[in-house]
Amino acid sequence: MPTALSSTEPAWLRPVRDVGHLLRFRSAAVRRRSTYWLGIGTMLTITLGAAIIPAVVPADDDRRLELGVLLPTGMAGILLISIVSAIASGGGRELVSREQAVAFPVSPTTDHLGALVLAPLNISWLIQAWVLLGTTAYVVGPARLVSAHVVMLLWMAVATALAQVVAWSVESVRRRRHGVVAMRVVVVTLCVGALVVQLSGRTISLLDQVPTLWVVLGAVGGFSLSWVFVVVGLLGLLLAAVVVGVVPAQLAARRLPHDELRAETDTHTPRPMPWNDLLALLRIDRASVWRAVPMRRGMAVLAVGPGLVAVLGNLPWEQVMILPGLVVSGGALLFGVNAWCLDGRGQLWRENLPVDAGLVFTARALVLAEFLGVASLVTIALAALRAGVPTPSELTAIVCLLVVVTLQVVGGSMRWSEQRPYPVDLRSARATPAPPVMMVAYSARLALVTTITGLLFSGLARFPDPMLSLFVALVMGGWSTVRLLRAHRRWVDPFVRARVVTTVAA
Amino acid sequence: MTQTPPAVEVRSLHVRFGEVEAVAGVDLAAYAGQATGLLGRNGAGKSTTMRVLAGLVPPTAGTAVVAGHDVRSHALAVKRSTGYCPDVGGLVTRATAWEHLQLSARMRRLVDWEDRARELLERFELGDASHRVTGGFSHGMGRRLSVALAALHEPEVLLLDEPFDGVDPIGVEATLEVIADARARGACVLVSTHLRELAIEACSDVLVLRGGSRVATVSASEMAGEEGARAYRALLD
Repeated sequence: MPTALSSTEPAWLRPVRDVGHLLRFRSAAVRRRSTYWLGIGTMLTITLGAAIIPAVVPADDDRRLELGVLLPTGMAGILLISIVSAIASGGGRELVSREQAVAFPVSPTTDHLGALVLAPLNISWLIQAWVLLGTTAYVVGPARLVSAHVVMLLWMAVATALAQVVAWSVESVRRRRHGVVAMRVVVVTLCVGALVVQLSGRTISLLDQVPTLWVVLGAVGGFSLSWVFVVVGLLGLLLAAVVVGVVPAQLAARRLPHDELRAETDTHTPRPMPWNDLLALLRIDRASVWRAVPMRRGMAVLAVGPGLVAVLGNLPWEQVMILPGLVVSGGALLFGVNAWCLDGRGQLWRENLPVDAGLVFTARALVLAEFLGVASLVTIALAALRAGVPTPSELTAIVCLLVVVTLQVVGGSMRWSEQRPYPVDLRSARATPAPPVMMVAYSARLALVTTITGLLFSGLARFPDPMLSLFVALVMGGWSTVRLLRAHRRWVDPFVRARVVTTVAA
Repeated sequence: MTQTPPAVEVRSLHVRFGEVEAVAGVDLAAYAGQATGLLGRNGAGKSTTMRVLAGLVPPTAGTAVVAGHDVRSHALAVKRSTGYCPDVGGLVTRATAWEHLQLSARMRRLVDWEDRARELLERFELGDASHRVTGGFSHGMGRRLSVALAALHEPEVLLLDEPFDGVDPIGVEATLEVIADARARGACVLVSTHLRELAIEACSDVLVLRGGSRVATVSASEMAGEEGARAYRALLD
């Protein structure tokens, strides 16, 4: 019987086809087809709306020019967001989890292409893309809309591919001996550099020199020779970035992720017996969160990133109010939206422990709340370095906001964790607690709710009487607490719990 | 067979997950001081039955009484009376072996449990790994720790789901010792396994499940040898 490979397809085509197979495999596992298509339809509608509607909005030339000047920075912004996201997720998201992938010959090239395909399924990337498309449409108007959008879409693809090259390169260095330390030094150096640039007042002049300016000039001029040059240049860059990305992806795949392996072989000195059941549950839940590589890495990015933006941008307290909601939402996306998957298959053993189910829920919700709270406090502390001493109204507003958004996000996360549990192994930095499309849906809902809440408290901070913030916090926090208690009541139902436990342990 | 009431009594048990009926009318009686094996192919309903008896999954219909407690109305009392080794994993990935034992001891109000915990860890050759997180444990190490966790509090009913799966001979020996110890102190032991020979060695009676229902209850000796293997094969088809 012949055992040689029967396929005659070219070697370079195989990873491309494999990505197609894996995408079909993933989409076949979607449980609610109607919700899935509704989600995709909504995303396409928003994208088309962002790309077309601003073009027909009447505006004067000065306003168009003002926004046009910001386009190169916006384009650099999507590159930066793509880089940070890809690095934070250990090289990019996986089409198939590491545990499932062992059964299939998924090559690093396929993995690289899969991460590229999944990269836009990220709310920060999507929001930036929608803003960029909308601004472009507003600046160029309906006459040159198509030519401009062709360039912008190509740029987004280039930015994503370049980010992937950077992320794989960082990952391949991190996986070397002392690589983690080396990368930490690089990150600190970059942060200090950015701070020096900002403090020396050279930020604007630096942003004026971003090379994306040439792309914008080619985009806004309509179909012309320079447009052709830009399009051809971007296509070449895209192809080169996709191909070059294979090299660091292969390098990273050959090296072991030291921090993940260390986390799996760590030893911990035993501590005295906890005083009560709640403390015992909190201790084991905290271990599951704080000892996990994706959680630690995600927390560092979430807590420090927005804080640095606040410092570099010299944000006043009114604008700082937007940050805690975004940080808390991002934190919930690390594990909170599928909170019962933390124990994985250990949940089966834990369910046999004779402890009140309500107490188990309380412990998990508290650990999630403290995780989100710590991230937000770090962000606020960093922002406070430049925002100065807050007025009593600002202080009350930020404290109330923190409590309200934490309650909102914990309530929503615990509800979703019961409604839609997924069996996920969160050991890898590349793992997500839910499938990519669900992650986008969760992040969109969380970002919307917390941003509106942030804007509301930002407004309340301007009122001299701090009691107003307290009153609004009482109402909003009360409503979120009611929803959290409802989730608590559902969890106590043994049928609901059995469904969740058997699903996350599958 | 015996005059004492069964420690585990299951009558017409049904468990349904959506469209799938995982258990379709199982009847079972297991007694204190005895070990009963649950044998059957994949999907026969063994693990789901064990999960019901451990208080994890409520029955859709039928009754299950464990150590005198109804699993539906007194799930917490059932959990206090049982020690459960799940069929898959069963460990919190980022907690150490000792932290597992400590949590179990705390929840079950055990006092002076440390010596027994150390003895169990040594018996299962996990003493050196007691402070390591279990995420890096091999499959066999994980199975052995799961058995140790189930046995820590010397439960009235010991539920071992696939305890021999992927375990080396020393681990198998230690598990058989745990079962023998439990029987000796008067506990009821239920062992679910695919491995007929180990079920015969560990248990006095064997139940064969097929398609979510019980198809036979025989003494372990009747399942022994080539004749027993043929009989078992016939029951599976």
